[in-house]
Order: sequence, then structure tokens, then C-alpha cells
Amino acid sequence: MAEEEKKQERKKRRTATEAASSIGAMVKAAIGGTVRAKQEGKKVAYAFIVCCYDEIIRAMDVVPVWTENFAGVCGAKRDAERFLERAESQSLSRSLCTYALCGLGFDQWREELGEMPPDAPWGGQARPDFMLSSGQILCDPRNKWYQAAQQYMPDVPIYDVGLPYPLYEDDIQVADVQDYYIKYIVAELRGLVKFLEEQTGKKMDYDRLRELVDLGERTWNLIWETYDLRRAVPTPMGTGDAMNTMVPMCFMMGTQEAYDFFVKLNKELKDKIAKKEGVVEDEKYRLLWGGGLPSWFALTDFNYFNSKGAVFPVETTYRTIEPVYRLNMPDTDDPIERLAWRWLGYWTYWYDKAKKRPGSEPDVERLIQYIEDYQIDGIVMHEAFSCRTWHLGLIWQLNQLRKIYKPIPVLILGQDGKKREEKRELPSLILESDIIDISTYSEVDTRNRIDAFIETLEQVRKNRANRR
Amino acid sequence: MNDGIISSIIGPTGPEQRRLANRVMENALNQAGLPFEAITYLVATGYGRINVPFADKQVTEISCHAKGVAHLFPRCKTVIDVGGQDSKGITIAHGRPTDFVMNDKCAAGTGRFLEVIAEALGITIEDCGGMALKSKQPAQISNICTVFAEQEVVARLAEGVPLNDLVAGILESLASRISRMVNRIKVANEVVITGGGAKNAGLVKALSDKLGYATLVPPEPLITGAVGAALLGKDIVQKAMKNGLPLERKKRSLEEVKIL
Repeated sequence: MAEEEKKQERKKRRTATEAASSIGAMVKAAIGGTVRAKQEGKKVAYAFIVCCYDEIIRAMDVVPVWTENFAGVCGAKRDAERFLERAESQSLSRSLCTYALCGLGFDQWREELGEMPPDAPWGGQARPDFMLSSGQILCDPRNKWYQAAQQYMPDVPIYDVGLPYPLYEDDIQVADVQDYYIKYIVAELRGLVKFLEEQTGKKMDYDRLRELVDLGERTWNLIWETYDLRRAVPTPMGTGDAMNTMVPMCFMMGTQEAYDFFVKLNKELKDKIAKKEGVVEDEKYRLLWGGGLPSWFALTDFNYFNSKGAVFPVETTYRTIEPVYRLNMPDTDDPIERLAWRWLGYWTYWYDKAKKRPGSEPDVERLIQYIEDYQIDGIVMHEAFSCRTWHLGLIWQLNQLRKIYKPIPVLILGQDGKKREEKRELPSLILESDIIDISTYSEVDTRNRIDAFIETLEQVRKNRANRR
Repeated sequence: MNDGIISSIIGPTGPEQRRLANRVMENALNQAGLPFEAITYLVATGYGRINVPFADKQVTEISCHAKGVAHLFPRCKTVIDVGGQDSKGITIAHGRPTDFVMNDKCAAGTGRFLEVIAEALGITIEDCGGMALKSKQPAQISNICTVFAEQEVVARLAEGVPLNDLVAGILESLASRISRMVNRIKVANEVVITGGGAKNAGLVKALSDKLGYATLVPPEPLITGAVGAALLGKDIVQKAMKNGLPLERKKRSLEEVKIL
């Protein structure tokens, strides 16, 4: 009976691809590697993802400690609570970015003990020699987190690299203002190089940097082509896997290992497509993960969706690349300039397209493109309460999408008794939880919402006027 | 298969959901004067739907409320379900949900809020609606947390704020939270309020005012979901008969459940 069955073990998460399943070991090795690097006297830096400096760090042989990644690991292992509580005891609000709270709680504990906290996940977070913040518009913890960490490590210097990009405006063309932004970003990156040279006592090898930037660009293109394979029906890979494969994209850019990983994934997806092997045997609903960082402690929810025949061929989260050959980059040999153009090109990629559709906006335009390219039946968004930066506009995006984009034809009975065709918006679901703080999450409620959403999708499918 | 409800049972769920499911089924069958084998198809809904072992199918409340309300109000486009432990907004078309929004995170937007405050004020929930309608000046309740709102209400009462005004203030607060959530979906006429909250005339009025829509209420709002579940079951049976397909059903027996 159910009372006996209820004491189940937590179900192990399943990935659709072998590539994704190899990530855990890679991350564990990388985290262990940072601790060893520190012991060997190599320079170790706290770093954030998507800050334009991956290749610069690698070219200087600085070993990055990706603090967001470490927090994600704590969250996935469901071992973040003690670090969150520690941060809270330092009078940091529980409403702050829980990546930051987890990291700060860990750092405070490590510094107090003079060694890693007990049973530190995967060996723990190595003490940095310096910390690399970023003043990009995106995320204010990127300015403040390491400043807060400096309370516990006052001897560790910070370099903050400013990475602006023009905000979307109806009456401003990127081409008219881009030169100013490029000049600014290039100056910031050169300042970072100078800081790293001072900290490491080495000079930047620009030939090496050029090679790594070139490798990074090839990796961007390869990732884009690989993810594009997921358009296939049935899709060979879902967002659950992508939350693993984001690791080489975001934490290993500019390394041969990252490039080789995507060569392997590309091949694996092509093999699956040839054999018509999808994420699920009976693919019923194709969903877009339209926004929101995932609940790292509840990635098994993707398997729950799968169990209902729902797959996620595409997501916006952690898809931090676009094809470089479409970024309108000028011909320049300077690797720093190339990084700056790549940055600007990525963040303004959807602007021109958005201007062509009344009521649209870059994030909404991106959703529409993915809906059409990947044959999407519904959208799921995750509102992670502690991250307003990434999550603030999600409901607005859904509302705007509903207003301007109604792709589903349905037949309705008019007052005159005749059937007529009407266009309807895509069904959408909003999940509410957090990235690291599991106390915000209710499996019962989340799955209840998923069940109701699946029923809605089924009804829309039945009512579709033109069946696919 | 006749139209109409033969019997209905309403009661608190409690912790022993499987035992209750059996008991409720027995009581309903007794009331109807029917043996268990006479039930052609059985659909369970609600949070406890997985704890109904003899159900042939489990369907979420979203779909069941949509179906039940559409049956009672064929022109309904928006359903607001104010339950004891959650509240929901559902847009419907042809008896099926097209969009929904749920509050399952905060008791201050559910019937539980009202239960806690009513107990603190020494009144019954049934009295709340009538009392609120008599108020000329609903009190402003500032707290968003049920427990702190309870504290605030008791303090205001001690200050001499009239009970009717306090109750009206609480219902305004509840209506405000529910309407803010519901406004995330496209509200359109006709709007039907269901669930226990629909039995509270004061809450219904407050919700109508906040949403800016006239609202309708089913004759027995506590069983709308169950009605919808039964109707969905009927659809399944009729479809199977029409297509000459077999029906997958559970064994019709009510076993004694041993709780650990």
C-alpha cells in the first residue's frame, strides 16, 4: 500500500545523453583541481560566468574558481542549507542571491576555521589569490558578492571589470552607438590584463590569447550547431541535460577540453537523430524553458516532465552563445577587441529582429524564434525568488508574448452555429522556487502544477484546428 | 447514465486520506442506495487524489473545476477557486482549462487565513460574510503573513475597532491577494467563484469589487471539483462506448486500510 511505498529513496536523476552524464565527474575533478592548484602555488581567482574574461584568465594560467558553480553543486547535493544559515547569521538577508549567500557562508566558515569546513562538497572552494567581479548590467551581486567576501578575506584584492552594452531602445540603432561601447569594454579588459600581470608577475602572451580566443569562437559556433540539432523530432536532448552541458560552455570556454566535449556531444546527437532516439519514447509535448535559472536541487523535475511525455528541446537559460559568424564582427587581429565585439554582438543579437515586429522586444523575439524553430507546444518559466536580475521580466515577457504572438489555430463555434478559426497563444506555466534555497520548494505543489499544465497542453492539442 | 447528482458527501480531509476515501465512498453509496459495483467509472481529484486507491483515473483540480463550472455555467470564461489551502485562477474554453495560476506558497491567500483570524476573533467562518457586508469602513490590515495578521487583528480589536470592520478588512486583504494573482491570467465574463471561499458573501463581494467584474457562485461550491471529475469520467466512458474500446478500471472493493 502507499504508506509503505511512500518511504522511497530519492529517485536518481537521469540524463538522455552520455555527454551530459559525464559532467558530474568533470566538475568534481575541476573543483578538486582548484584546491590542488592552490596547494601547488598556482594563482587561483574567484570568477563569475559570462564575464568576457574566460580566455584572458586561461592565457595567464590563472585557475578560476567558479563560485556560482560551487553554489550550484551545494544546491544539487542538497547541502547548501548550512552555508545559507551561516551567511544569515552574518546578517545577510535570506532574500539575497542564494549563490552569493551559499558562497559567503562557505567563505566565512573556511576563514574562521583556517581550513575547509567539515565534509565540504567535493573538497570545497579554494581560497583565492584575487577575485574578479564584473559590473555588467545584468547582475548586481557580481559587483557586491566579492566585496562582501572581502570582509572575511581582507588581503584578497578585487578587480571589477565593467561590461556595459546598449539597452534596447526603439529609436536607437546599435550601429550608431557601438563604437563607444567597444572602446569602453576594450579599456576595461586591458585594465584586467594589467591587473592580472601585476598579480601573477607574468606578461600576457598575446599570441596565446589570440589562439584561445580563436578556439573560443570555434567553440561558440560548434555549440550553436550542436544545440541546433535538438530541433529534430523526437528531440535527442532536453534542458535537463543542458543544465549539465552548460558546464564546458560557461566554465571551460577557451579550453580544448570544452571544444572536444561538444565534438562528442554533436556526434552523439547526430547518432541519436539517425536512430530516431528521443529523450522519451513517446514524445507528446515539446516545451520551451523560456527563462529562469533552474532549481539545482530539483533537476529531477525534468524527468517528471519526461514521464508525462513532455520534453524540452530548447531553453534560454545558460545558452550563452550565438553563432559568431552572425555577430557582424569587424576584421581585427586584436584578441581583446574580438572579445569585446563578441560580447556586444551576443547581448544585442536579437535587437534588429525585435524592431521588425510591433510590440516585440529582444527576449520576446528570442522566445518566438525558438518556438518556431523547435516546434514548441508550451512554455515553462521558473521564478527563482532570490535572483531578481534574471527573473524580474519573465512574467512581462509572457504577457507580451501572449499579446503579440498567437500561433495556435483552434476551431470555435460562433453564435451563428458555424465553426470559425481563431488564433490562440501558447499555454504557459510558471514554477516558483529558488536556485539554491530548497526551503522554497515543494515537490508536491510543483508536480501538481506540472500535472495541471500537462492536462492543459493535452486539451490544446485536442482542440488544434490543423493537426501537426 | 442519468444527469444529476444522486448523492454527495462533504467533510474535512484530515491526515488519514486513504481511510477517509473509503469512508466517504461508503457514505455516498449508502446515501445513494447503490452497491459499489454500480459505479461505472471513478475519477479522483484534489491534492489527495493519489490516495484514492480505487480511483480509475486521477485528474488535477484545474481540469475538474473547469469542467464542473462549465457544466453549471456554460458561458463562464474565468474560474476562481478559493480553497482552504490554496487559491487558483483558471481561464476556460469549451469546458477545458486554457491557462491557470495558483497560489500554493502563502496561506494569506487561502481559506486558512480566514479560519485562523475567525478563531482569533471568536467567531465562526459562516458568520464572517454577513458581518463584513455590514461594515462601512473596512479596517486596513497591514501584515501579509497570516500569523502576524492575526496578531494585528487582535490588537486592533482591543483598541476598539468594530468587529465588522475588522472582518471586512480581513476579507479585503484576502480578496486583494487573490485578485492580484488572478489578474495574471486574462479575466473575462462570466466569472465564477467556487470553493469554500464562494460561500462567503463578503469575500465574493470584495473579490468582485477588486476585479471589477460581476461574479457568479454555484449552488454548492464545495463539490464543483467533484462534479467536474464525475463529468470527465462520464466523457471517458461515453468515448469508450462510442469507439467500442475497453475501459481500464480498478477493482471495485473497499478494503480495510491499516495505517502504520
